Amino acid sequence: MIILKIAFRNIFRQKRRTLLTALTIFGGFTLAAISIGWSEGTYSYTIDMFTRNQMGHIQIHGKGYLDKPTLYNTINNYRQIGETISGLEGLEGWCPRLYSSGLAAVAEKSAGAIIIGIDPALENEATGFDKKVAEGKSFSKDPAHEAILGSGLMDILNADIGDSAVIVSQAADGSIANDIYEIVGIVESGDNLSDRSSFYLHLSDAQELFVLDQRVHEIAIISEELGDVDELVVRIKSAVGESGLSIEPWQEFAKQFYVAMQADKQGAWIMIFIIILIVAVGVLNTVLMTVLERIREYGVLRALGTRPIQIFRLIILETNFIAVGSILVGLVASTIINYLLSIKGISMPDSITYGGVEFTKMYSEVNAISLYIPAITVIVTVSLVSVFPAIKAARTSPSKAMRIH
Amino acid sequence: MIDKSREIIRAENLVKTYEDDSVPVNALRGVDLVINRGDFLSIVGPSGSGKTTLLNVIAGLDEPSEGRVYLNDKLISEMSGRELSDFRRDNIGFIFQSHNLIPVLSVEENIEYIMLLQGVPKKERHKRVEDILKEVGLEGFTKRFPTQLSGGQQQRVAIARAMVSQPALMLADEPTASLDSATGSELLDIMRSLNEKRNMTFIFSTHDKLVMDKARRLIVLKDGKIASDEVKE
Repeated sequence: MIILKIAFRNIFRQKRRTLLTALTIFGGFTLAAISIGWSEGTYSYTIDMFTRNQMGHIQIHGKGYLDKPTLYNTINNYRQIGETISGLEGLEGWCPRLYSSGLAAVAEKSAGAIIIGIDPALENEATGFDKKVAEGKSFSKDPAHEAILGSGLMDILNADIGDSAVIVSQAADGSIANDIYEIVGIVESGDNLSDRSSFYLHLSDAQELFVLDQRVHEIAIISEELGDVDELVVRIKSAVGESGLSIEPWQEFAKQFYVAMQADKQGAWIMIFIIILIVAVGVLNTVLMTVLERIREYGVLRALGTRPIQIFRLIILETNFIAVGSILVGLVASTIINYLLSIKGISMPDSITYGGVEFTKMYSEVNAISLYIPAITVIVTVSLVSVFPAIKAARTSPSKAMRIH
Repeated sequence: MIDKSREIIRAENLVKTYEDDSVPVNALRGVDLVINRGDFLSIVGPSGSGKTTLLNVIAGLDEPSEGRVYLNDKLISEMSGRELSDFRRDNIGFIFQSHNLIPVLSVEENIEYIMLLQGVPKKERHKRVEDILKEVGLEGFTKRFPTQLSGGQQQRVAIARAMVSQPALMLADEPTASLDSATGSELLDIMRSLNEKRNMTFIFSTHDKLVMDKARRLIVLKDGKIASDEVKE
């Protein structure tokens, strides 16, 4: 207890030095907390752009579809599956999709297109499709031979809203699939690559075109929370069974994207490491300075009968008192900064494109990981760098120390 | 015939050599010494004669290069660091040239320090602190910090701290060096009175004539050897 008392009171002896040490720890902690919050926020935002707005967090396909997507590998009871999963805990929405490719033509111009059949109501509920319609209008409730094209495809085809677009492809029964649709809207999904080829049709129109009555290729599912996706996958699997179906989380069906994100995340940790290294050097410097300055005092304590381990504890406690105080202030500061950045975000001077998606603003995130990882890292680092000065103090020879004036 | 029951320190053939800028310095060159319980003795000699080194070796603060030191029949020169810490805590009181109080502790806490390490119960600690402060004339100063005291008052606290745990042996290295002669004399009287009342053994290393005058035994060191050992009547 007396060692604890001395350690605590020692903090206030050299106020300027304590402040310097505290500022180093506070700065390091806050920078690390903001970096993690920022990096987690950016990844969450990017992942959300990819998943919530487009691909979904979970996808159901016919087995083998992802490896070899064909017109014939379909889900034949999608309505039944949808009804089964729609009540599951943590599920926000689901939507069926039909995919094929073909040739799109408007007047003299033609281009390859990805034809995507969607259920407008379900798609809007799940991924907010209507919000992506930048010009024109979304689909009518009932199929009306309407088409909505990606903005890039509109440019390629030199098309305008109200123009007629022709699709030529192959239907599931082997016949030539062709029909004419009125362009009613332009989609800007944020994914430039996909907007250069997307040709959206009402699901019923697409099923009729490809002779795939009541069949789809994909069910996209949106989870309420990104972090609960794996648990939702388990719940869906147990609800619908897996016979003939593959039910995958986004990390599986967008593996390349996931791997790229993980690699990027590793890069962020290097920055945290550098910040912590700066803190470590700063703290080592001040603690060592303190120990050297008080070496005579430690000699006296040793002469009075204080055990070496008690001197060691004294140094570690003193440094940790400063560290805990600095971290507490840092917790408040970094939470406020991360919160503000999570609401307002930071506008990019130039938009950046990641996996085809354009980002103009980035957001931070307030989460536990951005607080406890820097807190533990800083405490461990500060304790570790204090070990050397603490050993030095504990090994002080009382007779030598007391000769120092 | 040697009366072993009176013996508190026995030093046999103490040799201490250390290096100063790679030059070997023979601080002690074969010191044999017996100190008895209740002695009030001064070790004197010119600078570099080995006074402080002898005191440090007796206290277990320094290891002798050769020879042995027994305190209460315990060989202290072969104890481990931790054993020595505990031994010093329980058996030796130190009074340093500059008081060396712990600056962040109050007078009361400084005096309590050793008792806290010993695990003396709170009630007992407070009683002993109260008693010793009365003896050194510092009643009412318990809550003050060292910086709020004069040099003489700080040295009284240092004496109180050294004596409160009632050690068998008190070692004082130039205890009056930083005090004026009136304060020095006053403190020596306090120590002398404690020596008489409690039969506590005091060993001083000093240059101060006042200390030499008050001592009942005078050991003169010269070039690391005992030149004379005189018991005053």
